[in-house]
Amino acid sequence: MPVLTAAPTEIYESGDSALRVVAISEASEQNWLTVHGLADWLESCGAEGLHGAVPTYDSVLVEFDPILVSARQVRAFVKLGLLELAHAGETANVPREFDVPVAYGGEYGPDLERVAQYQGIATDEVIRLHTEKTYTVRCLGAPAGSPMMDGPAFPKPVPRLKDPRLSVPAGAVAVAGRQAVIAPASAPGGWCVIGQTPLSVLNIRREPLVPYKPGDILRFRQIRSEDFGDFVGMELEPLP
Amino acid sequence: MSGEILIQQPGNSVVTDLGRTRGPRFGLPVNGALDQYSARAANILAGNLDNDPLVEITALDFRMTATTDILIAVTGAPLTLAVGGRPSSQWEPVSVRAGETVSIRGIHRGLRAYLAVHGSIEAETLLGSVAPDTVVGFGLQLKEGTSLLTRRSVGPVRQPYFDLPLFRLGLERPSMDSDLLVDVTDGPDVAEFGESGELLFTSEYAVSGRSNHIGLRLGGELPERTSNGEVLSRGVPVGAVEVPSREELLVLHRGRGVTAGYPVLAVVTSTGLDVLAQARPGDKVRFRKTTVAEATAAHRRSRTQLETLRESVNTVFGLLGIGCRPQWQDLPVAACS
Repeated sequence: MPVLTAAPTEIYESGDSALRVVAISEASEQNWLTVHGLADWLESCGAEGLHGAVPTYDSVLVEFDPILVSARQVRAFVKLGLLELAHAGETANVPREFDVPVAYGGEYGPDLERVAQYQGIATDEVIRLHTEKTYTVRCLGAPAGSPMMDGPAFPKPVPRLKDPRLSVPAGAVAVAGRQAVIAPASAPGGWCVIGQTPLSVLNIRREPLVPYKPGDILRFRQIRSEDFGDFVGMELEPLP
Repeated sequence: MSGEILIQQPGNSVVTDLGRTRGPRFGLPVNGALDQYSARAANILAGNLDNDPLVEITALDFRMTATTDILIAVTGAPLTLAVGGRPSSQWEPVSVRAGETVSIRGIHRGLRAYLAVHGSIEAETLLGSVAPDTVVGFGLQLKEGTSLLTRRSVGPVRQPYFDLPLFRLGLERPSMDSDLLVDVTDGPDVAEFGESGELLFTSEYAVSGRSNHIGLRLGGELPERTSNGEVLSRGVPVGAVEVPSREELLVLHRGRGVTAGYPVLAVVTSTGLDVLAQARPGDKVRFRKTTVAEATAAHRRSRTQLETLRESVNTVFGLLGIGCRPQWQDLPVAACS
């Protein structure tokens, strides 16, 4: 990460146990670096009563125990953290890279045809656009620490399903709006599922539960449906 | 003698604690006891730490037996508690002799009860918490025949004369009713709802049967978003009030997904979340606007009551020798494994 000038921010009350900090510069990359830098700082500052911080794209939710610390004190921590970011300089976080094998379409990607049709391109073209790009993990989201990423260069944003599925399997590779994601665990979902990775992403016997963190790089690689079984039981791991 | 508790009728019960506060950072909801006041009170009454594992029983009848003498406390929604067939008091420590059955029947007015055992119970942890997480498939859902381990045994504590209740700790019990008043503060996105946001405070909402630990769905007059741009996924607080559809209001509780793309109209206060934890399908909910300062003050008042309770319990237990060396026995680890 380069030396960071923190983006200007706004702080919103979010109940008696949380604050929302939003970075409001024009530059989305600077906003993202700011909220993640702030979350890391809050995590490591050791302030009593701070439960933790949930950074996403341009915002971070700071959760605290209102018995131990007041919302005003947390605000002060946040402002201090933002000032500290400017002094923190280079961080030692070298992004790790992950290779994600994906079986596209058919039973593994029930929405591949729908996405291709809506975009007015062939299914092969959807797969090509999805596999040609490298993805930066922007944040860990619901459910279960899903890697939220900026989506492939499709002509148009992808509309969500009108009727969300009651259950999307673990490993589902999905797109919605201008975002892309992998589902680490089976859960309901309204995103378009274009494929599935046979690798297991979530391991609740390991900490952290998912192998990637914000800033890491993912690449998708097409595999044949017949080969799906060869990967089952293997875990998603960073490339050496 | 072994420290074993055997579940005979699980109803709908889990082993939980106050929640996985480190979870949201990793994309996991905090989860844990939905009625935090009742859960803390149960553990305090049982002479435990507030965050010790305990049993959360939702709606349905529950029965267990212990193979050793134990001390328990049951809090939460009103119910009928019997130990060895004797009617026993809720919100007080209760002695259970080896072999006696503890039965919890007829949970009413509220929805959830909490049962703590002195010395607590053993359960696996994930990120420092035993709280179940249904999405990642973690946690201890009790079944018929589940055996729970406890490391401490407490001999019978009973008033020797006239069988009068031994403890009168006088804790204020949360009032439970089918008309609920829930405090909220303005949400970070209240401006997106314009004047329709006021509907939240003038309407009455009905709790839908599709409500659970993730969120409560409420039917009634719905505020409407005035903007309709795509919202980037953001961390959402527990207690967030959202209007995701034209049919229902959604109030997120402790099992909520940590990120979502809906604007947050209001946020239920910490004490308000305890009220909602006891809401039954069909109950009526009214929202009342408050400020973060007032909400925090109310939360601190309720915690002060629990601290007073802790002092009383410590005094009584100290006098009785409960939790002190000569009176309770740490069971050898070998007997528990």
